[in-house]
Amino acid sequence: MNGKYAVLHLSALMLLSGTVISCKKDHRPVENFPAPTPARLEVPGNLPKVADDADNPLSAEGIELGRILFYDARLSGNNKLSCASCHRQDIAFSDATALTSIGVSAKPLHRHTPTLFNLAWAKSGLFWDGGSKNLESQALGPLTSEDEMHQDLYELERELKAVPDYVKRFKLVFNREITSTDVLKALAQFQRTLISAGSRYDLYIRKVPGATLSSQELQGLALVHAKCGSCHQGELFTDYSYHNNGIDAIFPDDLEGIYQGRYRVSFDLADMGKFKTPSLRNVMLTAPYMHDGRFINLDQVLDHYRSGITYSATVDRALYQNDGNLGIPISQAEKAAIKAFLSALTDDAFTKNKKFSNPN
Amino acid sequence: MKKLLTIISLSAILFTSCSKDELVTVADGAGKTTLTFDATFNGSDFALNKDFALGTKTFNFTKFRYWVSNVTLVNAAGEEVKVPGSYYLLEETGAINLVGVNNDNAATIYPATKREDVVLKEIPAGDYKAIKFGVGVDQKYNDNMSLQSGELSQLNGMTNVSWMWLTSYIFTSATGTVKEGTASKTLKVETGLNANYKTVALNLPQSIKIGASKSANIVINVDLSKAFDGIDVMATPTVGASQAAVMSAVAANYGGKVFSVKSAN
Repeated sequence: MNGKYAVLHLSALMLLSGTVISCKKDHRPVENFPAPTPARLEVPGNLPKVADDADNPLSAEGIELGRILFYDARLSGNNKLSCASCHRQDIAFSDATALTSIGVSAKPLHRHTPTLFNLAWAKSGLFWDGGSKNLESQALGPLTSEDEMHQDLYELERELKAVPDYVKRFKLVFNREITSTDVLKALAQFQRTLISAGSRYDLYIRKVPGATLSSQELQGLALVHAKCGSCHQGELFTDYSYHNNGIDAIFPDDLEGIYQGRYRVSFDLADMGKFKTPSLRNVMLTAPYMHDGRFINLDQVLDHYRSGITYSATVDRALYQNDGNLGIPISQAEKAAIKAFLSALTDDAFTKNKKFSNPN
Repeated sequence: MKKLLTIISLSAILFTSCSKDELVTVADGAGKTTLTFDATFNGSDFALNKDFALGTKTFNFTKFRYWVSNVTLVNAAGEEVKVPGSYYLLEETGAINLVGVNNDNAATIYPATKREDVVLKEIPAGDYKAIKFGVGVDQKYNDNMSLQSGELSQLNGMTNVSWMWLTSYIFTSATGTVKEGTASKTLKVETGLNANYKTVALNLPQSIKIGASKSANIVINVDLSKAFDGIDVMATPTVGASQAAVMSAVAANYGGKVFSVKSAN
């Protein structure tokens, strides 16, 4: 290499490094702080692909921070409740209670605690009516509601800033002082990693050697696809959409429309009484059922679909038979097969996964 | 030599990866502009707890707040210069108890505030003939409360964060009372929802020069009375998401009638 080229080479390098710095400057101060380790969701082969969230990129440290926060009672106003108080891992992050009253006000809630898994695919809204567009915004609901965690967002920042380990972790993940918005982001990162796809059904469908389903379970699988699949569709066993499944005849305008379902969000009359389809995965663990937990077991749920559907204008078309009558014909043998299959959707590897459990 | 070319082209790629906005704002000779949102009501200066007549009705306000976002200046050549991070909360309000945000702490109650001025910094030098801005918060930020830009925050009472509700920003809020004859109603007229995000485009009476040596001032007349044009406030004194049609009419008023340019120099 001759001298002329060496000089050119050097200035090109300088140009290069200068550009890198000027690009990065807006996002990260010049000080030399270690960057978080980028992470990706591990999606088993039978689940649909999922896009990264560009506004809240996953990092190993961000996920871990979210996990610590999820189990930290500092997040509540009385410092007694964490997210995990109502979202228990052993029952797929549900709470086994129709309408819990363990919130700060001790008043019963008006809706049943939803499960938390496969949320990375939940792109059409969170809450039973989709009133929140993403996990980040969703967390503000339970955090601030006086009947749930009743936290003051200023106090939350103060309390977390008093913990040196949090100061260090937030700085590493978000490269700034602790803010309530970054609490939301960290919680969302952890929740996106809660992927449940390790049930006996999953092992069977992924052709893992030795994985089998009984003939009754296979019959149940076919029945679920045929009779439940219009809403509980695909490998996620939900369409993440909203339906009126005929559990009520009227939808009173009380409590800011709490009984009106999706209508209170869209104000479209066609959405009256529609609530989000929950997944059938882990359904054996997540009783009671429906948005208000009114059915205590799956027999009640299946009996409802068979013979208990109540007419209202927005009842889902899939719940009508060809002759115009409401209900899904299900024989006793079919009911038994469906329940057998649903048991095969229980994911013990998920409910016992140490990566999702209380780090303390 | 091949290596050298690789480095040069790599640096070219890195250059182009910097967004355009960033490059525009660091141009030499950039200046600042003060944008004054002068609140009025049907020709009178706006103030809280003061009676304003409008036709047969009398309004009296306790609060007037709204988000202004995505401010864009249009230069003489018709090019748009977007002000990065331009999310501002304009307001005149008494102290606000932020139930659900800071529930218990009296010390962090949102204080009484009057704010009409916004300073736009680092505007590239040039002649400008028009201004555009949004009333409310655009969809990206409205849908995701964890994203921060400008003054966006859920800590100031201009959001809906209550349980099982649409988690989003309140775009505009005017509260107080309205009287007609012997009838008196509590007034709470608010807008929100992505469909009600409006962009206001205003031509300046004459081009103004902005640059390092000349800071400019644009005064915008904000006539709150226009927000109620065509609205029967005695019949619907509360306008929120459940009054979808009325809310969209109020939002249209904010988009087309409330804001006008008073002066620019």
